[in-house]
Amino acid sequence: MFASFRLSMTWMHTWLGLVLGYVLMICFFFGALSVFDREIDRWAIPETRFEPQTLPSFDTLLLPIFERMQPSKESLAQASARIGGKTPQHTSAAGFGAYTTHRDPVLSLFTEYHVTNNPNDPHDHVFGNTTIDPRTGRQLRDDQLKIGSQFFYPLHFSLHLEWLEIGYWLVGIAALVMLAALVSGVVIHRKIFRELFTFRPRKQAQRSALDLHNLTGVVGLPFHFFFALTGLIVFAGIYFPVAHTMLEPVHELHEQRELAAKGLAFEPAGVPAPLASVDAMVAEAKRRWAARGMSGEVGFLSVAHVGDANSYVSVYRAGTDRVTLTGQGIHFKGTTGEVMFEEPPPSTIEGITDFLTGLHLQHFRHWLLRWLYVMGGLAGCACIATGFIFFVEKRKRQHAKTGVSGARWVDAMATTAVTGMVIATVAMLVGNRLLPAELAGRGAWEERIFWFAWLAALLHATWRSAPVQQARISPAWREQCWMIAALCVAAPLLNWITTGDHLIKTLGEGYWPVAGMDLALLASAVIAVLAAGKLRLREMGVARPSATSTDAEAAHA
Amino acid sequence: MATTTATPASGTLQVISRVAASLLGSWLFVWGLTVLGISLGVWAGADYRQMESLMYLLAFPVFLVVFCWAYAAVSLKRVWLILAGGGTLMTAAAWLLIPSLAA
Amino acid sequence: MRDSLLLAGGLLTGITGFAWLALAMDVHWRQVRANVAAGLAAKRKLRFLGGLAIAASLGLCLAVDHPTMAALVWLMILAVSVLTVTFTLTWRPRWLSPLVVWIPNG
Repeated sequence: MFASFRLSMTWMHTWLGLVLGYVLMICFFFGALSVFDREIDRWAIPETRFEPQTLPSFDTLLLPIFERMQPSKESLAQASARIGGKTPQHTSAAGFGAYTTHRDPVLSLFTEYHVTNNPNDPHDHVFGNTTIDPRTGRQLRDDQLKIGSQFFYPLHFSLHLEWLEIGYWLVGIAALVMLAALVSGVVIHRKIFRELFTFRPRKQAQRSALDLHNLTGVVGLPFHFFFALTGLIVFAGIYFPVAHTMLEPVHELHEQRELAAKGLAFEPAGVPAPLASVDAMVAEAKRRWAARGMSGEVGFLSVAHVGDANSYVSVYRAGTDRVTLTGQGIHFKGTTGEVMFEEPPPSTIEGITDFLTGLHLQHFRHWLLRWLYVMGGLAGCACIATGFIFFVEKRKRQHAKTGVSGARWVDAMATTAVTGMVIATVAMLVGNRLLPAELAGRGAWEERIFWFAWLAALLHATWRSAPVQQARISPAWREQCWMIAALCVAAPLLNWITTGDHLIKTLGEGYWPVAGMDLALLASAVIAVLAAGKLRLREMGVARPSATSTDAEAAHA
Repeated sequence: MATTTATPASGTLQVISRVAASLLGSWLFVWGLTVLGISLGVWAGADYRQMESLMYLLAFPVFLVVFCWAYAAVSLKRVWLILAGGGTLMTAAAWLLIPSLAA
Repeated sequence: MRDSLLLAGGLLTGITGFAWLALAMDVHWRQVRANVAAGLAAKRKLRFLGGLAIAASLGLCLAVDHPTMAALVWLMILAVSVLTVTFTLTWRPRWLSPLVVWIPNG
């Protein structure tokens, strides 16, 4: 099919890059935003704008809340669907979980209940969840959307397409194609070191787009490669679900043996027994971590077989000073508080896996590295966007001559995927500030605003892209840049008006989650205005390209 | 793009077959490798979880290599044979081995 | 405060290192010293200094964090450094001339 290895790699890079590039834009952009997902949550839910807290007292604060919690409506609805529409009957909570990080002011609580009337699955469960202010125990309204951690973050790994996990599979294929695009990019781009520092914005759009594409691709190569690879490893259980299919009997056998070796019960005993002081267990866990030279705070705490003689409490450390996912889990007997099992240091293979997944999931505390991650993610976006632009620039003259409209549709889709995506994001933040505070289902409305704004951007881009069919620039890019600038100024302004937290106040207090967001929004507005200006010059043909010849590489690609 | 196809129709079919081989063929190949690798490891006495972690680490680099090879290879028939055929063989071998591991 | 200074140092040495490596190439040297090529000895010195500065950058990162963390920070600093040097060469190449002021012409 291809005359040479290089041509086969070029074809693969061009066409797979084009098709999956749209998905990859979402992964890289919302992945970059997810680095600061919890800070975005603070901006979106003003009542959570206070300092991060450590885990509060389980015995006095958390236990009463756990005991009052109920399964969520969504979980009950899903269970009902599994048992043919009947109302699920459930026990009182069989399991508790609490999760926090060094960046979270609020605490997430989870509960698990056995479903007793599912004839097909005796182990069926329903789940409950809530978020509390750990200083007072007050629960947040459950229809307030954590725009960072509950919307942008899952968007980047599942596209919010949960049905049959299709979104996860699309992202997985896109990640694989990213790896292949990086490898093939190196094969195609022969002068990697000679052209490492080359960027010529005054040349024709095709050449300068390719320069920037090569620059952001090469400079970010280790970053893009490792993020795509580690993302795939994190979800390996979805892409190759061996443990629940062919290898299920082997997996079950080993899991039971493992729990037995740790002294942890797979099933409850059926004998009621009270829970000992969990606060004392937490104190003991911290003492043991400190003794091992790894002192820290609790990141995750779970109670299994609540109220039963076989109950056990597992305490895990919040990882902050290492890249690797550190758990240092310690398991306690629920009824007495004695230590049953301390997780040993990980084996070599587990250590490598923990390091690679830790690299991606970023539980560590390192503000510079987080910002560098954001830059890497945005460089990835620039690489994909310039890839689209190069594709269109290279073909639009040809298509204009032959009357084919392909370049126009690719350009419209590219506008939607680049500026359109940013419009949707900031429109959602503006909506977050404009919607009435007491609106029921507020979170769902914010999501609708996001998708509607993106659809509007698509329609606008499609409508305005006709000039591409005459080999000119679509004005949609410039117009959407202006839209972004307007939204990026409106958002911090509305934040000030609706919450009183303006930049001078937040900078003065050093409250970075909100100050950082407002500054980032304003900086984005400046960049959008500069971009709009440059685009206007190009559209009017004032910025004459300095050479019309493109070199062999630009013609070859 | 220099191709050796004669007609547009067979060209499209070639493209679809090539892309399918790169995705489906590679997936089947890596599936087979993963289940066979874990099964052989457990059979040789290794811990299940360790073998699963190891194979999951190897799965994606291997996927990347065979994926690119699916495009670089001259004979599409050979790509399907090795990827889908090889994947099926490895899966079958694992399927035969597993019952003795779950005892 | 100490950590911030060390990391800032790591970033600066990274940028300086890549600037020197870039200026060892004719096409970029000419952007800073119009139309006068650097001699072979000068190029070797620039490449050596560039490598040294990049290694120093790693050293500074290692002084702040656990090695696995420092390695990641350093790799990302290298990426940001190349971008900074590239954009400087594109728009303000003369800003790099202080780095090579000690190299004579010809």
